[in-house]
Amino acid sequence: MTGVTTREMTYAAATNEAVHLEMARDEDVVLFGQSVAGSPDDPFLKAFGADRVRVTPISETAEIGMAAGAALAGKRPVVDCTMAEFLLVSMDQVVNEANRFHYMSGGRVTAPLVLKAGYGFTAGWAGQHTGSIYGMFMGVPGLKVALPSTPADAKGLMASAIRDDNPVLFLHHYLLLLEQGPVPEGEHLVPFGSADVKRPGSDVTVVATGWTVHRALAAAERLAADGVDVEVIDPRTIAPLDTATILTSVEKTGRLVLVDQATRHSSVATVIAGEVAEHGFSALRAPIVQVTALDASIAYAKPMEDYVLPDEDKIVAAVRGVA
Amino acid sequence: MKPAEMFRHMTRIREFEERVKRTFTDHPGVIRGHTHLADGAEASIVGSVATMRPGDQLVSTYRCHGYPIALGSDTSALMAEIYGRATGICGGYGGSMHLADPERGFLGTSGIVGQNIPQGTGAAYAAQLRGRGDVVLTFFGDGASKQGAFHESLNIAAVWKLPVVFVMENNSYSAGVRTDLEDANAAAGEPLATKARAYSIPGVTVDGGDPLLVHETVGAAVERARAGEGPTLVESRVYRLSAHGNSIAPPGVPLHYPEHEAVTKYGDVEEYEAAKRGDPVPRFRARLVESGALTADEADRIAGEARTEMQAAVDFALASPHPEPAAALSHVYA
Amino acid sequence: MNADQARSVLRTMWRIRAFEERVGRLKRSDEVHGLIHLSIGGEGVAAAVCGQLRDNDVVYSGHRAHGHVLAKGAPMPETMAELMGREGGLCRGMGGSMHLVDVAHGMLGATGVVGGTVPAALGSALAARMRGEDTVSVVFFGDGAVQAGTFAESVNLAALWRLPVVLVCENNGFAEFSPRSAHTPVERVSDLVAPWGIPAATVDGNDAVAVWEEFGRLLAGVRAGEGPALLEALTHRLRGHYEGDPDRYRVAVAAEEWQERDPVLRLERTGLERGWFDADEAKAVREAAHAEVEDAVAWARESPWPTPELASSLVYGS
Repeated sequence: MTGVTTREMTYAAATNEAVHLEMARDEDVVLFGQSVAGSPDDPFLKAFGADRVRVTPISETAEIGMAAGAALAGKRPVVDCTMAEFLLVSMDQVVNEANRFHYMSGGRVTAPLVLKAGYGFTAGWAGQHTGSIYGMFMGVPGLKVALPSTPADAKGLMASAIRDDNPVLFLHHYLLLLEQGPVPEGEHLVPFGSADVKRPGSDVTVVATGWTVHRALAAAERLAADGVDVEVIDPRTIAPLDTATILTSVEKTGRLVLVDQATRHSSVATVIAGEVAEHGFSALRAPIVQVTALDASIAYAKPMEDYVLPDEDKIVAAVRGVA
Repeated sequence: MKPAEMFRHMTRIREFEERVKRTFTDHPGVIRGHTHLADGAEASIVGSVATMRPGDQLVSTYRCHGYPIALGSDTSALMAEIYGRATGICGGYGGSMHLADPERGFLGTSGIVGQNIPQGTGAAYAAQLRGRGDVVLTFFGDGASKQGAFHESLNIAAVWKLPVVFVMENNSYSAGVRTDLEDANAAAGEPLATKARAYSIPGVTVDGGDPLLVHETVGAAVERARAGEGPTLVESRVYRLSAHGNSIAPPGVPLHYPEHEAVTKYGDVEEYEAAKRGDPVPRFRARLVESGALTADEADRIAGEARTEMQAAVDFALASPHPEPAAALSHVYA
Repeated sequence: MNADQARSVLRTMWRIRAFEERVGRLKRSDEVHGLIHLSIGGEGVAAAVCGQLRDNDVVYSGHRAHGHVLAKGAPMPETMAELMGREGGLCRGMGGSMHLVDVAHGMLGATGVVGGTVPAALGSALAARMRGEDTVSVVFFGDGAVQAGTFAESVNLAALWRLPVVLVCENNGFAEFSPRSAHTPVERVSDLVAPWGIPAATVDGNDAVAVWEEFGRLLAGVRAGEGPALLEALTHRLRGHYEGDPDRYRVAVAAEEWQERDPVLRLERTGLERGWFDADEAKAVREAAHAEVEDAVAWARESPWPTPELASSLVYGS
């Protein structure tokens, strides 16, 4: 980020800063949800008032349906849905209403809204609050899905999400909330559908999202000591998905390891594997390897929790297996 | 259940919850994730559970420690579950929010607000099909009554005349937000039992701090359900004496139990102090001692036994092994 | 209701009736395809409600939406073309019968999922209030939708936030294929919302005059900022749930009885009795409606099919 003034801040603060800046920039942006405007001192409430910043009852279906209706009528709602799993309560509104209005009207209406939700809270939250369930949204026509891994990306993707004319699912990772990083001052937009090479390398391509980007980068450092040069790519948005950057990298390395916190058969990894197998087969010099969560719910106890998740050791082993 | 026995279970639940809360300071890191305590609701829980007979069942929310204790589940296994141990009542798979003891009729919980209501309604359908007069108690909070799942479930239970009693523990806070900011009935100063009118079923409000009154009210609803006359909505007014749950933080940040939202969020110390003065456990103790149903010595002995029992539960849980990692792949399919 | 209003409502009702009957025939000849729900029998509600709305008031509907769309002012040729899947249709053929949208006339959306647009109408109402307008949202839904969780969640929020929305339930006594008694112990939808304390009324939906008066009364309060209201109109669905429905779950209404109840004929009788129009005028309205439908069909048939590439070009808004 040369030439850009940055500040160190957390992933959570960077996300909030983007919402705050967009609300200041565009008075059509509204913010509501169950955990919004929690106190009279809430910075959003103080800055933008109780009309634009509202706490809602525990009524996901109505919240998201209202977001769609307000969007059709010209607002740009940001709904704080708290946890990704809570979207499941109102799945119809997420995958079968808001995302389809534009298409079914022949392009006459748009439903610009952002559903902000946390995911992947694999810190003892047991079966129902720990999922990485984005796989079930990435194939939904009309819905965009962002998965930032750094504070700067969190800010830039949130700003782009709010300005996007489509429903966007902005999934922030719970384990990254307090991660610090440099964040550009002022307006900062990260385009959707543009993967970021987090670490250049020449021997093996590793694609990872969210929290696993950091596990992959740590693994890459260990492997570098062994003389294996790993390129780490973060797609940043999985719908749309930038396969071109991944294919370009595979052309160079001929080897692909896919890391994903989602269960294997509902993962981004599986989708990328399919794309590369189809479009980059001739460049491959080894089988594609997927390092995903195992196909189980997340158990409460830590040993079992760790067992099912991808980690640094598993990534290192996978890379060594193909390098 | 005799009043003295009710008092014993109330005391056990209170002692258990206090030991769970103390774990955050006594043994940092042992309890992970999110834990919700039932302190303040003991009278409502015990008075309700005391109406059950063998074959009856219950489902609850993630605030679920009290029900299995009243049902007689092993408190060591419950504590071990909350500590994530292999000896836990669910083998460490569930944790604090997902306790279950089906042999005693506790079918389980949902960690998602309101989503256990249709599950309890479905269990009542099964009970109706069994035809033995079994009843299902479905426990949830006031916040859940804003969920579509509540509306959908009460309607179906009413039209199918299902043997279910919907016990809404109204603690005036929907998670951390005061209910009158979220609920049109509460905002209008009406009891939440008013909602029953929408389904043409009885809706009653009871002081959830009085176990005998709860027992009588829920008992009448249970008898009505047993007789095939359908569901009842019971609004049990309780006051949760702890915060909604422990602090929420990424790994590495020590977890703790904050003060109640009345204090932290609304600055209403007096509301909270008044609730403490009305604490149903000492209130019931005083009443029993005054009426002669229990001597002060007996009450002290019950309290002492509860302390011993819960100390043993903590010791057992701490000494218990963690689950084998590969056990994570068991139980994916039955 | 005065004479001008009655003539206008009658005209709308005949336009809907003629349109729906023609669509039924086009469906049988497969010029209109897919799942089609006709609103024959419900014309009085659509006409008397939408007839009192402004262009910038917002309307949402469900799967049985043709009448609402026409009554709100959508041009008939484009509406017919949409049902025939043509490029000239309201939604360029992307939506079809269940997803009619006409932003210019405030028809913001219809859904194929029962109850799906109820919260959306609240959102539009919230947006209007935030802009300081006195426009209202109206959402049409059937009695089946009120058992969906979205309905209770939405009524609570509309009441709590006093949103300018009128919930119009067309209670035809059947939720898809089964009678209301199989779905709920509460016979009247207006009773269902009683706990929330919002103004609610039940009217005979076959009586367009009664619908006009009752809706007008509720609308005035909602527009004045008094919060939401619910109108329940008891209607009879003359056709099956969808075109092609064997309709074996209902006892047919005898033809003579239907002559009595038919909302279009009933308004004609009332209008003649009260001198709002004479028989020649009524006949002219009816004939004009049928002629308009034939013109719409001819126009739609001339409209080209959408190019296949359109299917992938509208996935995102921009």
